[in-house]
Parts: sequence; structure tokens; C-alpha cells
Amino acid sequence: MKVFLDLMWFFKEEKRKYITGILLLAIVSILSLIPPYIVGVIVDHIEQGTLTTSILIYWCGVLFVIAIAVYIFRFLWRIMIFGASIKLARKLRNQLYEHFTKMSPKFYNNRRTGDLMAHSTNDIRAVEQTAGVGVLTLVDSLTMGGFVILTMAFTINWKLTLICLIPMPFMALATSYYGSLLHKRFGKAQAAFSSLNDKVQESMSGIRVIKTFGYEKDDVESFRKKSDDVVQKNIAVARVDSLFDPTISFIVSISFFLAILFGARYVVAGELSIGELTSFTIYLGLLIWPMLAFGWLFNIVERGRASYNRISSLLSEKIDITDDNSVKNEPPVGDIEFHVNRFAYEEEEIALQHVSFKVNKGETLGVVGRTGSGKTTLMKLFMRQYDLNDGVIYFSGRSINDYTLEALRKSVGYVPQDHFLFSATIADNIAFAKPDASLTEIIDASKLASIHEDIVQLPDGYETVVGERGVTLSGGQKQRISIARALITNPELLILDDSLSAVDAKTEEAILEALREVRKDKTTMITAHRLSAIKHANTIVVLDNGEVIQKGNHEQLMSVDGWYKEMYEKQKLETLVEQGGSNDES
Amino acid sequence: MMNHKNKQSLLFEPMDQKIVFRRLLSYTKPHLRWLTIAFFLLMLGTGAQILGPILIKIFIDDYLTPRIFDFQPLFLLAAGYLGLHFASVAITYVQLFLFQKIALKIIQQIRIDVFEKVQNLGLAFFDKFPTGGLVSRITNDTETIKDLYVSVLSNYVQNIMFLIGVFAAMFYLNVQLAFFCLFLLPVLFILMQLYRKLSSKFYAEMSEKLSQLNAKINESIQGMTIIQIFRQQKRLRREFETINDDHQKAWLKSIKLDGLLLRPAVDFISIIALILVLSYFGVTSLNSPIEIGVLYAFINYLDRFFEPVNQMMMRLSIFQQALVSASRVFRLLDHHEVSPEKRGDGQPKIEKGEIEFRNVSFSYDGEHNVLKNISFKAKKGETVALVGHTGSGKSSIINLLMRFYPGVKGDIFIDGVPIDHYENDELRKKMGLVLQDPFLFVGTVEENIKFYNDNLTKDDVVNAAKFVHAHPFIEKLSGGYEAKIGERGSTLSSGQRQLLSFARTIALNPSILVLDEATANVDTETEGEIQLALEKMQMGRTTVAIAHRLSTIKDADQILVLHQGEIVERGNHSELIEQGGLYHKMYLLQQGDREEIESVTTSEYVNTVDKNT
Repeated sequence: MKVFLDLMWFFKEEKRKYITGILLLAIVSILSLIPPYIVGVIVDHIEQGTLTTSILIYWCGVLFVIAIAVYIFRFLWRIMIFGASIKLARKLRNQLYEHFTKMSPKFYNNRRTGDLMAHSTNDIRAVEQTAGVGVLTLVDSLTMGGFVILTMAFTINWKLTLICLIPMPFMALATSYYGSLLHKRFGKAQAAFSSLNDKVQESMSGIRVIKTFGYEKDDVESFRKKSDDVVQKNIAVARVDSLFDPTISFIVSISFFLAILFGARYVVAGELSIGELTSFTIYLGLLIWPMLAFGWLFNIVERGRASYNRISSLLSEKIDITDDNSVKNEPPVGDIEFHVNRFAYEEEEIALQHVSFKVNKGETLGVVGRTGSGKTTLMKLFMRQYDLNDGVIYFSGRSINDYTLEALRKSVGYVPQDHFLFSATIADNIAFAKPDASLTEIIDASKLASIHEDIVQLPDGYETVVGERGVTLSGGQKQRISIARALITNPELLILDDSLSAVDAKTEEAILEALREVRKDKTTMITAHRLSAIKHANTIVVLDNGEVIQKGNHEQLMSVDGWYKEMYEKQKLETLVEQGGSNDES
Repeated sequence: MMNHKNKQSLLFEPMDQKIVFRRLLSYTKPHLRWLTIAFFLLMLGTGAQILGPILIKIFIDDYLTPRIFDFQPLFLLAAGYLGLHFASVAITYVQLFLFQKIALKIIQQIRIDVFEKVQNLGLAFFDKFPTGGLVSRITNDTETIKDLYVSVLSNYVQNIMFLIGVFAAMFYLNVQLAFFCLFLLPVLFILMQLYRKLSSKFYAEMSEKLSQLNAKINESIQGMTIIQIFRQQKRLRREFETINDDHQKAWLKSIKLDGLLLRPAVDFISIIALILVLSYFGVTSLNSPIEIGVLYAFINYLDRFFEPVNQMMMRLSIFQQALVSASRVFRLLDHHEVSPEKRGDGQPKIEKGEIEFRNVSFSYDGEHNVLKNISFKAKKGETVALVGHTGSGKSSIINLLMRFYPGVKGDIFIDGVPIDHYENDELRKKMGLVLQDPFLFVGTVEENIKFYNDNLTKDDVVNAAKFVHAHPFIEKLSGGYEAKIGERGSTLSSGQRQLLSFARTIALNPSILVLDEATANVDTETEGEIQLALEKMQMGRTTVAIAHRLSTIKDADQILVLHQGEIVERGNHSELIEQGGLYHKMYLLQQGDREEIESVTTSEYVNTVDKNT
């Protein structure tokens, strides 16, 4: 029940809705007590032969009014309480989303998308249930149960009430016990299902390999095994799940039996009329739901508490890249200087050390090296995706930490290695950083990135939807759209992080040429696997194992034997091979 | 070809709900025996529950009201009442469990059917259908159907039985009044229909909003770097809040609908019914005496009558949703686009591994030919290298050689026998295809090399690994051959993944090797190993390779240079060198010393300049 205290801030915020809802619920509970009473009155009248038409009409009229009132009130409390609870869901979802937008890559590296999704769907759902169904159940079972018991005890017979109540707590106990059992087994069944899901995912993405080896049947067999497991786990759930109904009906029938057995004695003893006994059994029927609900309540609340704790701990996760020490609000313009003494993602593995160089405004920097040599890390540090502890990076004469994130990043156009596009139109994707860009601006950026021709070929041109739900583009096309996206703000600094890897040599040349022309006095930093992309750079830095092993321009580096020269020749060769079929095109 | 497109779009069209429902029911056939038993138990249990109030009625009318208390009949009544309930408890448990179990078995069958179906579809299908959508049809949609069997069907059957039982009891007690109550049915039916119609609309709207919401969160998490670097957090937050708001509004709408038409409405009707019953008995009692016990029983039954109605109405939206999902699954099951099958008699075996393409043309869509008149021949043990840029048709040749696509014009022979005549197994076991993207699954290194071939011993696995030079790095992994490989092999470098896939292929000892060489992103350390492994693998095997590495090309017996689906240049290494084309220069580059390279690259450069000016 502690979760209700944890959620108190929300209940207070929505107190009008909750108070009205709870009041209405209580009124409905009281009103539901009246029909059985009326039945008892009429039965007694019939038995004693004292019933008249006017009595009948009177009581039926009362019943009708109650029916309408109950209908309206039931409708209203739902809107009050459930309406408030889904508001809580919305609120938490917004909070989570906002939190997500503030977290750095470090946060995302340690977590899987699926888990984060689970927090924002299942956990929020569980909390919403607590604030809705949970509150309803608590209030309803307390008021309804309380009123019914009081009515039975005071208007009919308190001894009989006590006797009939004996089996009821067992029902609450049993449902609560089954509930927790069910929860555990259900968790296992869920896990089996998600493993089946992974299996299907794997089979579908590996279908080519499976078909290559002719293992279709074996794969179906392995799927069958997994699905057997799912069935087994679900049968375990069914074993518990099937206990609910029989248990409830068993306990209820015992209660009824006791009511009739002892009730009959009281009738004989003259302590009870037959009409009262009839009402009594109807009241007993009204008790089933509150008891049942009480059992369920424990489970709802238990789940809600666990989920709320998970959400809270996620929300209290510290934001590690902040504006706390920033003083400058204007986007920087000017020279860039790297002085990295040492940087490591994890404690032991050094990603970069002793990396120092300078890029003057308007110049182009090329960073090359093997996979894992630290090229991308360097760019990430500059973008403040990670903070550098040992060393400084200067932009326009000040540490990049002096600028607000907003200001720093405003000066930068970034094209990442993995070309991620959103499920939106191409125009929207390109105008991502400048949502109010005109179509002309978008087309200009596309032309610069040599993607305009490709886009107009598509069925809906710039309005073509891409991403998961849209058309599939080639890696090269996605890369060029990412480049256009970075260019649209005409940034002071452009970072191409191995972002020409999937375009062919000719297009690469065209893009680089276009950039040189348009970005004459702007700075550009390029990391690449293919050296042709950085050949023209004013400064080329060769990284190996996080350290600078060579530095200079293309001519300088080609004049000495070293990694750069060796690699350059090798790649030149490979390019020729790849163009083998189109030697007449050069 | 229109026909073809229709087939594809048919996959996304809804089916007639009645047909879907009938088809879902037909899945119960294999379980008819147990179903009958479950039904029988259900009837027994329901009967026992319905008899209870009648026993109490007998007690009230025959014994309590006239104050007759003979021990024996009373004892029998009490024992009967308790006995009935005990029995009903046990029976209900078994029955509920049986229904769920059958439901689970049925859903497993549907799942296996659809998975098997998809496995047997041709690769052409997978080129077009997004993987995510497929996975969701096989798992999520079938899961929704499960809800139908588990919580809807048995529940409906049970509740309908119960309702019938209640009516039977009412007729037994008082025919006139029972007829009277029968009028409740059409009222409830109209209520149900109304709710079904509105809720399916509201539900669809809400689930659409929910999936938009989840897609937005999912996409934002994946693209968070981009969002942050382009400083769009605020805009995205606003966008998210809008979707979140819309979702909440849609949700509130369905809460309102539920409030108007579900339990509150049913309870309203139940009080009205109570008024009717009371008036009936009241008015009758004005003229003639009535049995109080009957009144008691009637009111008791009325009380019980409405709970099943509530239960059924609450499940209507699940029912609706399940039919939609089932229609998606059945569309997939009905889809006809299977892989090319064996034709003709006999069971030819691949012995030598000779390959011949004779005037082969091919088109994926029936409009654009990706291959035009391709002819070539590879004798046993020879290597054919395919060279050309993206889209030149290299991959298509491999796809046809592997018999992945139907609709080939011209002939492809292996050992002089048309490729169509081979059993699928024979083709797959004798031809080893190494893909550019080495696919590894979650499991140990050993399992990944073995794949589904359980005949392979640990020694075979180690030998295969040694053969392709994968053994040294495997040994270094913690756990060696038992080391776990993460999703898509994420724990290994791309070169190591490639070597493992080599080992997997070589473990089967194929007579034909088909290589789709990886170009990019192989780290330099493993590069050399891969070269070595490839050379060894090709030894004694007929090889068709999409080649990027000079070594593969240089040693090839035949080099086919492809351009726009045609072979534009062919010959072996020395012939091509004699032709003095590009190949000649490439060769010089690798063999010659630095000066020669420089002269060639400059001449290349000069050529370019010459042509441009």
C-alpha cells in the first residue's frame, strides 16, 4: 500500500477528481444496498398478504430512480478516477521522454532499447492501473464491503452476518495467493514468449543463410521446440488461472450454505422473517465482489509499486553532460585546438592519449586510422557526447565546456557513421535541424550532397516517407541524406564521421568538390576509412591505438614511408578493381 | 505481372470476418475428443451450479415455510447441496484447465503452420516483405489469437451454457415469467451489437495512437544522438506530447464508451428486470397466493444472469481484435510464392561440380532484365571470378546458381543436369555459399559452426576451424568453442565473424563453393587470415566468386567482367593482361615496385584529364 503514499503528489494534484470520484463510488455502494432491501420488504408483504398496488408502485418507482442514479454515478466516477489515472500515465510518459532527451550516449550504451521501451509501456501501465483500478478497488471494496456488512448486521441479524463472513477472508487470501503465484508463472511465460520472438527475429533475418544450407526443416523443428516451451509455461499459468473461478464459487457456496442453515434456525426461532433471509442472501451475493477485489488489490498494488520504483530510479538517474559550467551562449566561430591527454570510456581501456593538433578556421582536417583507432571518439568528444576529464578542447579560444550545449552544437553540422533516418518524409529528415526551412533550402542542401537526383526519382519525391515504415533506401542514399541534413543549417563546422563509406568514388568526389566550393571559409573535419575522402585536407592526422602516429598533409605523408602511404597505395588498387567493369567511365 | 503485384498487396487486405471465424473454428478439429470432454464437464459443472438455488427453493417452500423439519430429507438436501458444489468445483477446475490447454495447443499449431509456411517461401518474398512485419505476424498476431481461444471462446461457451441453464431453470420454475425474461435477450443483444460496433472503432483508434506513441519512443531512443546533436529535443518533446495527448483523448473516449455501455448499462437493465419480476409476483399475489421460494429462486437467477453478460461484453473488443489478427495470419498462410522446387524424375547427385550457364536471362520484376544472355562454363575445380560494380548482375548470377529464384530464362546445368532436377537437399549440401554478411546466431561458437548439422562431431568442428584459420582466435576466446556469441555476433570483429562462417561452410565439405566476398570493414589483422582461408577453401572445388580481392581474381581460371547484366570482358588472367585493359594495370600495380605504381596511377590520372579536356 506504500505506493499510494508514493503517488500522493499526484492524488493531491488531481484531488478534485479523486474526491468526487470516491464520493460517487461511496454513493453507488450505498444505493446498491437498497434493491435487496426492497426485495425483502416486498417478499414480506407478499407473505403476510399485506401487499397493495400502491405499495408495489411506490417501491418499483424507488427502484427505477435508483437504477437511473446508479447508472449516471457509475458513469461519472469512471471518468473521474480512470480519467485521472490515464492522466498520470500521460504525465509519467512525458517525464520519461523528457528525461530520455537529456541523457548522454553513456546512458544508452548500458541499456537496451527493449528495456527502456518496457519502462515506458508496461511499467507505466502498471502504475496507471494502481492509480485507477487500484484506487477503485480499494475504495469500492472498503465502502461496499463495509456498508453491506453493516447493513446485514444492523438491519437483519448480526449473528448470522458474522457466521456467513467466516469463509470470506479465505477468498481474499486465496485470490491474493493465486495472484502472486500467477504473476511469477506469467513472468516465465512472458520470458518464453520473448525468447520465441527473438528466435523468429533471428530466423527471419538469417533466412538467406538458412536457405543456403537447406536447413528450413531443421529451423522449423527448432521453432517447434521453442514454441513447445511457450506452451508448457503457459500451461503452468493455466493451472493457477483455472483455480480462481472454482475457489470463489466454492467459498461463496459455503457462505450461502451457512446463511441458509443458520438462517433457517433463526426463522424457526422467530428471530428472522423469510423475507429478511431472502434479502440476506442477496446481500451476501453483493459481498463476493469486494472480497474478490481485495485479493486482487494486493497484486495490482504490488506490481504498481515495483513498476513505480523502476520508473523513479530511471528518472533519478543523473544527467552526466550538463550546462552547469557553461558561460557562453553564442555559438563559437573560429580555430579549433585538441589537447587530449587521456580519455577512456571504461576505466582500463584507453581510447585516446596525447592527441594534440590545431585546425584553423576555414581549414579541413582529415582523421584516418584503423577501425577502433579512436577517430570517432575524437569527434564524440568534440560534440560533448562524452566529457573529457584529462585535457581540453578549444573552440574559438575557449574550452568547449564554456559554451552551452545548445550554442556549441549550433555551430556544428554532424554526419554520423550510422546513417539514422526518422520515419518521416525525406524533406522532414533533411530539414530536421531547421524545421522551418523552405523547399528551396532543402533542395539546395540535397544538391550539395549529390542526393537531389535520387530523390526526384522516388515516387513521391521529397515527400517520400523513409525509415522503418517507409521505402527502403540504399546505405549510400541514406548517407547522402544525412549529409544534406547536416548542411541545411550551413554550420560553422562540418563533421563527416566516416560518412562517405557507402557512396562510390565518383559521388564522393562530387560531394567533396561541392563542399569545397560552398564552404570556403568554414571548417570541416572528416574521418574516413577510405583515404580518398581526406586526401585534400589541410591537415591529416593518422591515429593508431588512440595515439597520433603521423601528421601532415597528403604530400608530406606520401613522401615518407609509413602507414598512410602504404594504405593509400593499397586502396588505390582496390578502387581500380572495384571499377573493373566500368573502366571506360573514368 | 499485375497478378504478382496483386498477390503482394493481398497480404495487407482484411478478410471477411465470418470466414476468418469459421477457419479459426476449424483448427479445433484435431482436438475434438478432448473438446467434447471439456464441453461435457462444462455442462455438468454448470448444471450443478444451477441446481443449487433450486435445492434452496425446495427447502424454503417445502420445509421452512410449513415448518417441517424431518432430519433425513433435510440431511439429504444439505448433503446434496454441498456435494453438488464440491463436484462442481472439481469439474469446473478440470474443465477450465482443459479449455486453456486445448487453446494453447491450437495456437501452437497455427504458429508452427505459419512459421513453416514462411520458411518455405521463396527469397523473392523476403526481398519485399519487411522483416519486422513478418516477425510480428508470426508472434504478436498469433498471441492475439491466443487470447481469443483462451479467454474468449471458452468464456463465451461457458457463459452461453450458463445462460441457457438459467433459462431452463426459469422455465422449470415458471413458464410465463421465463417467457417474460426472454425479452431481455434482444435488449442485451442490441446493447452488445452497439458496443461491438462502437468499441471496435474506438479501440482501433486507440491502438493506432498507442502504436504511434510507442514507435515515437522507440525511434527517439534509437535516434537520440541525432536529436541531441541537432538540438531538436524541445521540438521532439512537443511532438511527443501531442501524440501522448491524442492517445489520452482516444483512451478517455473508450473509457466513456465503456462507462456508457458496459457494466453500468447492464446493471441498469438488471434493476429494470428486477422491477419487472417484482411487479409480476406482486400483481399475481394480489389475486392468488404464490410460492415465495420461486420468487427467491427467480431473483437469485436474475442476479446470476447478468454476470455472464458482463463478462461477455468485456471480452468483445478482444474478440474483435483477434479476428483482425487472424485475418493477417491467414493472409500469410494463403500467400503463394514458394521457392523453386525440384522438377522431373530421378535423383541426380552432384559428383564433379561442373557448372554451366547457357543463355541465361533473368528479371526480378518481369520488366527489367538484370541478366542478359549470360553463358559460361566452369569445369571441376575451376574458379570463375565475377567482377563489376554494384548492380552489374554479379549477385543475381549467384542467386540463380543457388536456385533461389524462379522464372529463369535459359538453362543452368550442374554436372550436365539441369539445376531444376536436383533435390533441394542435394543442392544445399553440395554447394557452399559464403555470404558477404556472415550471419551468426545467439549460441556458442561450436553451435554456430555446426548449425543444424548434428552429424558433425566436435573434432569435425575443430578441424573445420583449423582449416580456415579460425582455430587460433577461437582458442583465445574465454570458453573457446563454448564461448557465447551475442546477438548477430556482436561480440566478434567482422573478420572473425567471416572466418566462422567459412568454417560453417567448409565443415560440410561442399563440391561447389560460391563466394560473395566482403569488401568493406574487415580489420587488417584478420585480412591476411581470410585470404589464406579462401585460397585453401577453393582448392579442388569449383568456385564462383564475386571478387574484390586481387588474389581471388588473379588466380581465377576465368574472369567475367559484368556491366549492366552483360558479360563485357572475359578470359583468364593472362588473356586479360594481353588485352591490355584495366586488368593489366591492376596487376602491374600489385606486382611492380613503387615507381611503376606511380607511373600507372599517373597515367590513369593523365588519361582522365585527357578525356575531360
